[in-house]
Amino acid sequence: MIDIWNVAILNPMLNGLIALSEMLGKNFGLAIIVLTVAVRIILIPLTYKQTQSTKAMQSLQPKLQELQKKYARNQQKLQQEMMALYKEAGVSPLGCMWPLLIQFPIWIALYQSIMQALAATPENLLLLSQHLYSWDMVGQAIPLNEMFLGLKLSQPDPTMILAILVGGTMWLQQKMVTPPATDPKQQQMTSMTTMMMPMMFAFFTLSFPSGLALYWVVSNIIGIGIQYFTGGGWGYFTFPSLRPQPQATTQPKIEQKGSQDGKKGQN
Amino acid sequence: MKTANLVKILLTVSLVSAVFLAGCTDISGGGGCAGPSAQGWSGFVPYKQVLCFGSMEGRVIAVNPAARSDNKTFPVEGEWAYLIKIASPGAACGAMCGSSTSAANMGIYATPVTSGELVYAGTYSGKIYAINGDRGVVRWVYPREGYETVGGVVGNLATDGQSIFFGSSNGKLYALDALTGDFKWEFQTSDKIWTSPVVDSGVVYSGNYGGNIYALSAEDGKVIWEIKIPSAIASAITVSDGNLYFGTFDRYLHALDKASGQEKWKISGGNWFWAAPVIRDGVAYCACLDQKVYALEADTGREVWQFSAESPIVSTPALSGDNLYVASNNGKLYSLDIKKGTMINSASVGFTVYAPLYADGATVYVNARNHTVYAVDMAKGSIIWQFASNNLGN
Repeated sequence: MIDIWNVAILNPMLNGLIALSEMLGKNFGLAIIVLTVAVRIILIPLTYKQTQSTKAMQSLQPKLQELQKKYARNQQKLQQEMMALYKEAGVSPLGCMWPLLIQFPIWIALYQSIMQALAATPENLLLLSQHLYSWDMVGQAIPLNEMFLGLKLSQPDPTMILAILVGGTMWLQQKMVTPPATDPKQQQMTSMTTMMMPMMFAFFTLSFPSGLALYWVVSNIIGIGIQYFTGGGWGYFTFPSLRPQPQATTQPKIEQKGSQDGKKGQN
Repeated sequence: MKTANLVKILLTVSLVSAVFLAGCTDISGGGGCAGPSAQGWSGFVPYKQVLCFGSMEGRVIAVNPAARSDNKTFPVEGEWAYLIKIASPGAACGAMCGSSTSAANMGIYATPVTSGELVYAGTYSGKIYAINGDRGVVRWVYPREGYETVGGVVGNLATDGQSIFFGSSNGKLYALDALTGDFKWEFQTSDKIWTSPVVDSGVVYSGNYGGNIYALSAEDGKVIWEIKIPSAIASAITVSDGNLYFGTFDRYLHALDKASGQEKWKISGGNWFWAAPVIRDGVAYCACLDQKVYALEADTGREVWQFSAESPIVSTPALSGDNLYVASNNGKLYSLDIKKGTMINSASVGFTVYAPLYADGATVYVNARNHTVYAVDMAKGSIIWQFASNNLGN
């Protein structure tokens, strides 16, 4: 299974990346950027489909909430009604995940290619030999020039700059696609989801080669761009100064609850 | 909605984990997701009755084959072990461990060299140690205490008896006084040096990862000649009969005139010639990662014979008597007839072998990747003794 993966996916991408580096004047950092852009462009149809699927799911939220209220005490019936609603609307609850799942082998291969091509240790360099084609261009590129914009791509960034960039861009991307929740519990969960991934990746950046962090940053920036142009601007992300007034449908509930709590407190 | 959110969270976390696990599995070697850790692959150098080598735990160890054969408790009869501790594993760490001050160990790649009563070892943490070969105590360290390290030393050290020469990951070639460890000269090359320099008749030859080969005066480090080749040097350089022999990452084995750097011949293999060529009586024995050993006429590059092993050959072979001893990286050892290239006998240590072999008569010494040194009787094809370097304590 590993052999099939290596021969069919990893090796072509790895050798392509190395050859690209040679073509770009032995600049591996630039090769990472170019390949990431190319892969993201190729995957635009899937990304678009995923965005549309997510939007469709979000448009069903008011109806879903109604159903949740209506069948709050009958989970079985709730599930049946929800499935019927999905069927009627022609969407699948996991529909937005399929494009993501299809993209994952490509991300894994890109990730592995960067890790292996950088060959941070002598052992890693030696293992690289098992994956390389006999192309002159590849042979002449090895070992890769690991310096890019002052970064040593095979080593973690000793400053916090890349970690902040990785975490920040990922957070922004998540904020653009995550609708504000109405229910406080749900809001907490959404907030956790939005924060968890950026924090995880920022943490990884501190110990992974900065070449990989470069790929994450570029990939996130492209993701933000795609989202901006296909999703209509900044989506659910609001700049602090541009924050709109609270919506009439959600705010009264919160105020009501707040005032009730206040009254309890006074009592 | 809650369920959908939960599913989304779980799916995302598991997918992220899958990405990282997938990234970690193929680059095995015990180093985690940032790549295999630097574990080293030092060979052996004889000193009086002991064999000295660098272990994967960062020790310089002297073992006495006779004492090991008698299964005596280590250390006896000239044996010793010196643990090299580093302040922080800087080469493998980033901001997360930048402030670490705890001692850690790191494997040794460079095969030690000896001169007089000193055994010299270079470390991946960027220091050179001169250790008394009789007692295992440090005579000197370079750079001196309190000074910054010079960058990881991966290639072997070389000595002409007066000086110690070594290349560093910082791209510099250094010469130190062999007795005192005092700095003599340094030469900045265009890229990092992970291969071994060699000194011959007052000239130091070294390649770097920028595809340059340098011939420098051993006395003062002045350039005698410098050439640029299409691909960087992958193996250590071997000097013999007026020529330099080495492999490059474009899968060629080169022979250059050592006086001028002009190419005499080159042949291509099926993969990198990672192991240093071994030369005797006008024949170059060259092991390749394409699983083959090529015996070539040293003057012309014409093939005399070739032998196919079971897996890629990383380890530099060893010559002894009429035999060439070869280890493939799956741990299988071969005894070959140097005239015909036919296999006389074989044995297996059962673990990966990257380190250069050392042969004394029909006994071959192997520093395997399972932290164990094996003495193998290649006449019988059996292991005589084994010594685990990872249970010596601190």
